[in-house]
Amino acid sequence: MNNGGRTSLVLGALAVIFTGIFAAFLADLPGRPAPRPLIPLVDKSFLSTATVRISYSDLVKAKEDLSDFDCYGCHQKSKPPVLTFDENQKLIVPKAHRDIVMGHGSHGRNNNCFNCHNENNLLVLQPRDGRDLKFSESTLLCGSCHGPTFRDWEAGVHGRTSGYWNRDLGAIDRKDCVNCHDPHSPKFPSRAPAPGPHSLHESTAAPAAH
Amino acid sequence: MSQTTPTAPDGDVTRRSFLRTSAVLATGLAAVAASLKPLFEMDDLPSAEQFMQKYYREMTPADMAVVLKRISNEVEKQYGIRPHVKDYKPMDGVEFVYALNLTRCIGCRKCVHACVGENNQSRNPEIQYIRVLKMPHGTFDLDKGDHNYAPESVPEKGFFYMPVQCQQCHNPPCVKVCPVHATWQETDGITVIDYDWCIGCRYCEAACPYWARRFNFAKPSIPKDRLNPEMSYLGNRPRKKGVMEKCHFCIQRTRAGRYPACVEVCPVGARKFGNILDPNSEVSKILSTKRVFMQLKEDVGTNPRFFYYFDV
Repeated sequence: MNNGGRTSLVLGALAVIFTGIFAAFLADLPGRPAPRPLIPLVDKSFLSTATVRISYSDLVKAKEDLSDFDCYGCHQKSKPPVLTFDENQKLIVPKAHRDIVMGHGSHGRNNNCFNCHNENNLLVLQPRDGRDLKFSESTLLCGSCHGPTFRDWEAGVHGRTSGYWNRDLGAIDRKDCVNCHDPHSPKFPSRAPAPGPHSLHESTAAPAAH
Repeated sequence: MSQTTPTAPDGDVTRRSFLRTSAVLATGLAAVAASLKPLFEMDDLPSAEQFMQKYYREMTPADMAVVLKRISNEVEKQYGIRPHVKDYKPMDGVEFVYALNLTRCIGCRKCVHACVGENNQSRNPEIQYIRVLKMPHGTFDLDKGDHNYAPESVPEKGFFYMPVQCQQCHNPPCVKVCPVHATWQETDGITVIDYDWCIGCRYCEAACPYWARRFNFAKPSIPKDRLNPEMSYLGNRPRKKGVMEKCHFCIQRTRAGRYPACVEVCPVGARKFGNILDPNSEVSKILSTKRVFMQLKEDVGTNPRFFYYFDV
């Protein structure tokens, strides 16, 4: 019965192994989780609550330059502007107004400046019922044709809302039609989307489309 | 062999056997201790004060004042900004409802990031409460939805966009499964989470049919200059690792009478929010006059307070 030597051997080997494990852990040999890939912070423009356009009322409120709305700086009061059309009866936009894209209504049905502007007084707008409306009242002009949408807008259902839902605690902030829609081309413009979600794990590649 | 190891009489320990046994024990213990090294590097252990904190619904206003002070101190220590942490209570006669106009949504994801900014979600790893699904026209099969779309510009032809977030159900499965009652439905309809009571078991995440709950797998990271200092206890105060979070209709805004951040940032006005008990609110008007509206996964019986509708 002489296994004392073997016991020593086994215990010695164990001690060596344990020391090895100790050293391995101290030296972080099992490794740490790889650092997560950097996710760039989203551009602050995506956090902006500003509307896509600025309305005439905004310009007045902000005391901005209103010279663009001074029609009789160029036009003459006594001479209503003359419209010209091409062979397809499409309005030819005069050079001085080349920033205007005529795109109101499908099939070019709304193809005449004086459907909304008053040719005898360019400083006002005119709905079909003959009223004169200031530029700051453009919402009423839009509403004169777009009745259901105007009704929705009045109820807060169409269009942007911000401020307070609880009117006892603060005011609701509603925007004009022209804060989002270009009156000459009202379809809401397409825009670049904000970045999509990043997965928890390293692969940032988008999975295959379904 | 003639050599013999000196042996003591039965039961006694010789110097040699003692030494060799203790050498093995010592190296073994050292190995175990070294393997636990990451534990000693933990720096987000709860303070004694937090550990002994009472359950939210048992706290007196005085208890809450102490807790809010502790949270303010913790936030200031970590971010160097003194926050305004409050505990907003539900208002009487108010039940919140959300309505989202699928005809208007263009899928720009501004709501996603406004929410992250308002509610102090972790930026890396990324936690977002709102998932915008790009869906082909003609179906509501969510399996056909894609949330990783990245075209040059949106909307794309042939698709509509459906943002999904917590639906604030009348019958929330997430609340039923919570083993510690760390999440519950408040009287104004918001299902809230007490981040100090959550044990991180993720049962609620599994129970939610809308994939609305998010888990903090790692310590959240928020850049100091993007921290929103207007905080609420049940809402957007910074979370810690290992707890759940989700959309809470921006408690810190809505219980102060304001609109949620996602409503204010939506460029097309597709998002509508208000008090359904007020017949003049936008959401009342929508639910009573708009032609079509639906609740997502109506068939599972959760009865969401989140409605999708269409302009027709």
